[in-house]
Amino acid sequence: MTDLWHSLPATAQDLILLVLLILPGVLTGAAVLHRYHPWPLVRALIWRFRAVSAVFSLLIAVSVAMGIGLTAQERGLRRATAQAADKFDLIVAAPGSEMAVLMATVFLQPTDLPLLDGAAYAAIASDNRVDLAAPIAVGDSFGGAPIVGTTADLVHHLSDGRITGQIWRSADQAVIGADVPLQIGSKIHPAHGAGEAADPDAHSGHGAPLIVSGRMAPTGTPWDRAILVPIETVWGIHGLASGHAPRLADQLGPPFDAAYFPGTPAVIVRTRDLWANYALRSAFTNADQMAFFPGAVLARLFAVMGDVRQAMSLMALLTQALVAASVLSALVILTRLFRRQLALLRAIGAPGRFVMSVVWSFAATLTATGAGLGLVLGYGAAGLLSALVSERTGMAVSAAPGWAEIHLVAGFVSVTSVLALGPALAVLRQSLVAGLRG
Amino acid sequence: MTRPLHVTDLMVQSPRGAPLLVLPHLRLGAGQSLGIRGPSGAGKTTLLHALAGLADHVSGQVRWGETDLVALGTAQRAAFRARHIGLIFQDFLLFDELGPLANAAVAALYAPRNRRADLRSAAEQRLRGLGINPAPRTVASFSGGERQRVAVARALAHDPGILLADEPTASLDREAADRLAQDLATLSREGGKTLIVVSHDAVLLDRMDHVLNLQDGGPI
Repeated sequence: MTDLWHSLPATAQDLILLVLLILPGVLTGAAVLHRYHPWPLVRALIWRFRAVSAVFSLLIAVSVAMGIGLTAQERGLRRATAQAADKFDLIVAAPGSEMAVLMATVFLQPTDLPLLDGAAYAAIASDNRVDLAAPIAVGDSFGGAPIVGTTADLVHHLSDGRITGQIWRSADQAVIGADVPLQIGSKIHPAHGAGEAADPDAHSGHGAPLIVSGRMAPTGTPWDRAILVPIETVWGIHGLASGHAPRLADQLGPPFDAAYFPGTPAVIVRTRDLWANYALRSAFTNADQMAFFPGAVLARLFAVMGDVRQAMSLMALLTQALVAASVLSALVILTRLFRRQLALLRAIGAPGRFVMSVVWSFAATLTATGAGLGLVLGYGAAGLLSALVSERTGMAVSAAPGWAEIHLVAGFVSVTSVLALGPALAVLRQSLVAGLRG
Repeated sequence: MTRPLHVTDLMVQSPRGAPLLVLPHLRLGAGQSLGIRGPSGAGKTTLLHALAGLADHVSGQVRWGETDLVALGTAQRAAFRARHIGLIFQDFLLFDELGPLANAAVAALYAPRNRRADLRSAAEQRLRGLGINPAPRTVASFSGGERQRVAVARALAHDPGILLADEPTASLDREAADRLAQDLATLSREGGKTLIVVSHDAVLLDRMDHVLNLQDGGPI
């Protein structure tokens, strides 16, 4: 049985789970409503007590929306983060915090890092299992966009070769990420530092501005907001060696001459074969440097976040349970509002199950309406939050509807409608004569 | 089917056990009409509820033909009312959001499928017979007299043999009250229905075959 379950496609599993979650509610409804048609009375009651009904539904909607918004948002963030690291198989850096290197490279957050020297870089770049070994130079910015010095190969790798315009041909050209608010042909004056601390005058007097020659296709990563330039340009602006012997001073990109290599905080490595990653991670890890998989660091981070997520899911579930409880006690109070109508029905000979079906349908309608509205509100809120996070980080965060939330809502509606039998039954225990007298 | 009423040793108690009504004996022939009169608190409505099988804490016998309502369970009493009893209340107890036809045919919402169409057409005929247009979307704008006639149509839609009315004219103006009294008397006399009416209304009581006077929870 377990094997059969695991052999099913994920969508089938999700669908089956959805059906199983809804089933108790549907069966309850079928049993209560069988052969009856209480809807005209339900509509009449909802309309008569429309203000209370609206508040009732809205309360459910808000609570459902909060549960959904949180889980959808968290999942969107996790996906976007994983996607941002997707292009970074292996990173080599000076020993220290893997997380700090990850933040500086994948997420382009300003971070002070020790440098790897030319010999270390040369050893990495010359390994024949290595396809791409890109040094980076970070720290400058223009108009809030980080300027990253690197090699043309990395630009091709990140954009999968999808570049509008063209890659740089000389040291005074730049390629911009998809979200940088500049055009091809725009001029750039790099400022030292980034953010509030950026000093636009620090580099003045370093000659001509840079000209945008191309734009990368969107990658959904923080690199979409970066300005990429030849690493030699960054080194040049800071008065460092060019990475090449003086007679090759105009060369851009590898090979670099170890003797003239100013150093790099990290080397982004792509291997020829996937399996080589593990061998290279061992080969490049020694007393002076560390090599790590960004994906693995994120996985550890997600593991920690996973605990938070479970806590959040539990909280969402508990909140739903509390809401269900308040819904049901509110329902008991609501039935007091129309107890004369219900007493009348019983007096003229309506069967008990029919009177129950009126109360139950009333509760089920308001619950389902609230839950549906909550689903919409939840995704709306998650969408807004995602847009905000995308705006802040440059990652493409999207809070797409997921099965987890649909299951949560289905379970909530199902359980609440089963529990609504309680208040519906309680109505029959009230005194008919007292109900008629109002 | 019209049934005679035979009440013996009827006692209705409050939930705490205090006697609300004691009626050793009451007989009413099939198709006859009875008015119940008395001051407030005399037990008139309690008696009517007991006769309809609505009251709790009842002992003795309330026999409609061969059926003793006191001996039946809640569900069976409801089923008996659904078949044989039509009820009319002082304040009509209509669903304001529904139209006259939906109100008069409310029993169609839970009746067996094969009886629904009959119930609706019977309700419509009753409405027209009482001078009510069945078409309007709601009864919210109806006058008291019109509402009570919709309620009468509801009580008659399933063609019961027994009609029980609790102060049916008390919320109506004189003209509407007289018209209703006329309608009820005609129903009993020509429709052969057993009619029991709790009322203060002398005009209505005058039209009844018999009148029972109650005081302090018992007959005078």
